[in-house]
Amino acid sequence: MRDHLKFFFFLVINLCLILPVSGSIRSEHEVKAAFLYNFTRLVTWPNLGKTASPLEICVYGADPFGGLLDPIRGRQSQGRNLTLRYSDVTSDLSGCDVLYIDQSLTRGLQSLLDLANERNILTVSDLPDFARKGGMIGYVKQGNVIRFEINLKAADEAGLIINSRLLELAVEVMR
Amino acid sequence: MIGQWRYWRLKTKLLFLTLFTSALGISLVCISLIFVENQNYRKQLESELHVIGGILAEQSAAALIFDDKEQLSSIISSLRRIDNIRQVCIYNSQGSIMAALESEDVRTCPELEPAPETGFAKNAYRMMMPITLDQETVGQLFLTSHLEVLRKHIRTFVLITAFVGIGILLVLFILAIKLQKIVSGPIVTLSDTAERIARDHDYTVRAPVSGPDELGRLGNTFNEMIGTIEEQNRRILESRDSLEREVDARTSELSMANRELEAFSYSVSHDLRQPLRAIEGFGQALEEDCGEQLDDAGKDYLRRIRNASVRMANLIDGLLILSRVSRQSMEKEPVDLTALLQEIADELLEIGDTLPTEINIQPAMQVIGDSRMLRVAFQNLLENAWKYSAKGEKRKIDVSAVTRNGSIEIAVKDNGVGFDMRYIDKLFVAFNRLHTPSEFSGTGIGLATVYRVVRRHRGQISATSEVGKGAHFVVTLPVSGKQR
Repeated sequence: MRDHLKFFFFLVINLCLILPVSGSIRSEHEVKAAFLYNFTRLVTWPNLGKTASPLEICVYGADPFGGLLDPIRGRQSQGRNLTLRYSDVTSDLSGCDVLYIDQSLTRGLQSLLDLANERNILTVSDLPDFARKGGMIGYVKQGNVIRFEINLKAADEAGLIINSRLLELAVEVMR
Repeated sequence: MIGQWRYWRLKTKLLFLTLFTSALGISLVCISLIFVENQNYRKQLESELHVIGGILAEQSAAALIFDDKEQLSSIISSLRRIDNIRQVCIYNSQGSIMAALESEDVRTCPELEPAPETGFAKNAYRMMMPITLDQETVGQLFLTSHLEVLRKHIRTFVLITAFVGIGILLVLFILAIKLQKIVSGPIVTLSDTAERIARDHDYTVRAPVSGPDELGRLGNTFNEMIGTIEEQNRRILESRDSLEREVDARTSELSMANRELEAFSYSVSHDLRQPLRAIEGFGQALEEDCGEQLDDAGKDYLRRIRNASVRMANLIDGLLILSRVSRQSMEKEPVDLTALLQEIADELLEIGDTLPTEINIQPAMQVIGDSRMLRVAFQNLLENAWKYSAKGEKRKIDVSAVTRNGSIEIAVKDNGVGFDMRYIDKLFVAFNRLHTPSEFSGTGIGLATVYRVVRRHRGQISATSEVGKGAHFVVTLPVSGKQR
């Protein structure tokens, strides 16, 4: 009897400790990875003739997620299977639908963006002022909370349609 | 109320029936309308809430996947403007509450495990809706709406239906008052006419009711019946008049004949006495004065002549008495019957007889009638009893009386020879004798006289007997002296 009670208390205390940790405090990169997946669900690509084709997410440069993105493989977004590719050469970007540009990139951003624009690639990055510089979705950090900005003009030029619900959630939308 | 139903007037009954039926119908219609309206309104409310929920779910899907509580709060705060929404809760796919809109009176959002009850509850509607994005459930939406609006709406609806119903009923009431006259009017007229005819016996009155319907036919039939009664009455009156005239004529004829007959019989009896007295007187003179000159045969003839003349005198006396009791006017007075009978018995006993005799007369017998006539009657009865019991070893006469059903029955019994019941018909008829003169002397008028006296007293007489075992006469007289 006493053993049971002890066990019960132990369980309750553990639960109290664990739940908030797993519930709210996620690492910055975990949140960013989750956001990246969510973006794919609220953006419409123009060249969507064959629905069965997989939606390819390319991570350019160093991988900031450290494998956090890997579970995304095999999930679906808008009925398309998600695939993941890591690359650091510009020529290797054919077939990408989403391009995540790591913070580490400093030069050649503009050419990368132009390329993405041509190929209807959604560009996402946590570079500071990424959206202002011509990127489409840029992460910003407000205090402890991760938010994002959207450059609607850039997306329009690339022929991408961003769901208005997503626009509502953005800190700022550049038109 | 229903107990009083048969005392109500026809008008009231018709009115009541009409209004009761209409009220019932209107109530049923109103109730079904209210029921249908309630159902419809509930459905409408439900579908409205589903639309709102759908919009909300669609709006909040994106914010939900980005864990954007601020955005979610702002989305659902727009629902504050919808009055009947009481509570909105948005859960993420893990089931924790992401945003809530709560009014003060409602408890906090329910846990999803176990699933909260949905649908119409006592005074709220609860709805649970998945929030989906690309067919993937990303969260849940829980919405509670209070039913105040529904109740208010239904209350208003009930009020309006009640007012409309009462209004219709009022209009129907006025209409029914006007229209019931069409039905009740002729009946009331007919009933009044019938009452007037019954009261005044005036069969010339006719009911002013006509028409091809049942009431009209009733009126016509009624009028025909009254006509028939009038005709029959007229005929009855006519025949009664003629009958009365006839009866009057017959009665006067009859009484004249009766009077003539009585006068005739009286004068005949009276006038017969004259020559009889001469025969008797001269017969006696002949016997006394010339007796010695007659031989034995002559004396025997003379004795026979004298006996015959005595018998004839008795006969004439009897006839005179009979005639008198028929004609004489009667005086009604209380008569001490016991004393009267005792006198007669004493007279009979004085005449003397060798036979041992026992006469029992019940004391204190009282009757009402003419004492002289009653004396004649009972003298005859007692004399008969005396006479016909003379041949036994012992004479026994009983007179007793019982009062029964407003009349007194006086019984006279003897132990004489009696008579044969076969000849009972002839017993009270004049000049009929049941015994030969050689057995018992008599005129055959006595019991006829008794019968006449009893009849004049409005009484009855009966006799029973068996040969050799005595006779039993019963005279029944009314106790009160009233003439019927």
